[in-house]
Amino acid sequence: MKKPVSFFVVNEKCNGCLSCVENCPSNALAWKDEAHTRTILHNMARCVRCANCWRICPQKAIEFQYFLENEWVEVNTLELLRCQICGEPVCTAALKETVKERMGVAELDAFCPKHKGFSFAARKAYPVKSKMGAKEGGKI
Amino acid sequence: MIVAELKPLQEIADSVAQYGKVDVVACGGCVSVCLTGGLKSAEELRRELSHPKYYMGRPPLFQVQSIQRQCEKDFVRSYFTPSPGTGAVLSMACGAGVQTLAEAFNKLPVIPAMNTTFLGSLDGPGLWTEKCHGCGNCVLGLTGGICPVARCAKRLLNGPCGGSSEGKCEVGGHLNCAWHLIIERLKSLGRLEDYDRLFPVKDWSVDKAGGPRSLGRLRPSY
Repeated sequence: MKKPVSFFVVNEKCNGCLSCVENCPSNALAWKDEAHTRTILHNMARCVRCANCWRICPQKAIEFQYFLENEWVEVNTLELLRCQICGEPVCTAALKETVKERMGVAELDAFCPKHKGFSFAARKAYPVKSKMGAKEGGKI
Repeated sequence: MIVAELKPLQEIADSVAQYGKVDVVACGGCVSVCLTGGLKSAEELRRELSHPKYYMGRPPLFQVQSIQRQCEKDFVRSYFTPSPGTGAVLSMACGAGVQTLAEAFNKLPVIPAMNTTFLGSLDGPGLWTEKCHGCGNCVLGLTGGICPVARCAKRLLNGPCGGSSEGKCEVGGHLNCAWHLIIERLKSLGRLEDYDRLFPVKDWSVDKAGGPRSLGRLRPSY
């Protein structure tokens, strides 16, 4: 799993006054003082995105826009199965395994809704376009 | 946004005085955003309620917990665990959250710490104002985006009453007359003809008069 980017961004105007920490209704902000540094901490699990920190900050140092518009974060990447006839994405290999287990069958092959009714003979007649090169067999 | 405010401390203390150990449960939803029922407020309440001045005997032992949304039963059941030995849960959520907790833990008393008050919007720093009554039949399209049901003390639908004076409502000097606001807004939109349109008798059966309402694929048909 990839590490999510931080959505809570504080710019260089921050002077460490702790107004945001004091006024967070969810206790999602904290700070730690070590030697000669003060670090502001944010807890994403506690944050309710009320924007009180953004409203209260006298320095306008909190960049709340990253909570409102941000890039998509990749949280998982899985192997994808495509239709053996046309190459349309059908499902992930992991989902196929789950379905096989639930149905109690030994093998299933991936076909899109358009092609899942094709007979074995028809499938043989059409060339397989799948880039994944999946084997023929049952249907999903 | 659902707005709720803390009950008087003595009332809360009276309702929990019989228990030895009480979980104060904050909600990370609307009440956090309106700055009354979040984790910080729960910790403040724990400190206040622990003071012996509110009790005849020994104060209960309070522990603070928080859950993101108390109004979702499966979420509450999966992610909220009452502290060992707790005698009651003091919920800082709105009424929906309190009832969800009560349904999820039917052997544990759930006590409200808040009075749920209205659906409102943020009009200034820390100032929430009622804007929606949840009447089930929105008329904002004809009233310039100002709700006469929520913002007129009499819920009038066809213009102001005789108590409107210089833009203020007779109920109190600080209250704006909703219909004064509507007319000014319609003027600025160039749609004053909407004011001449007569509203039919409002169907209150889609308001609370029709019983508890529901939304979703599995809602019961009446």
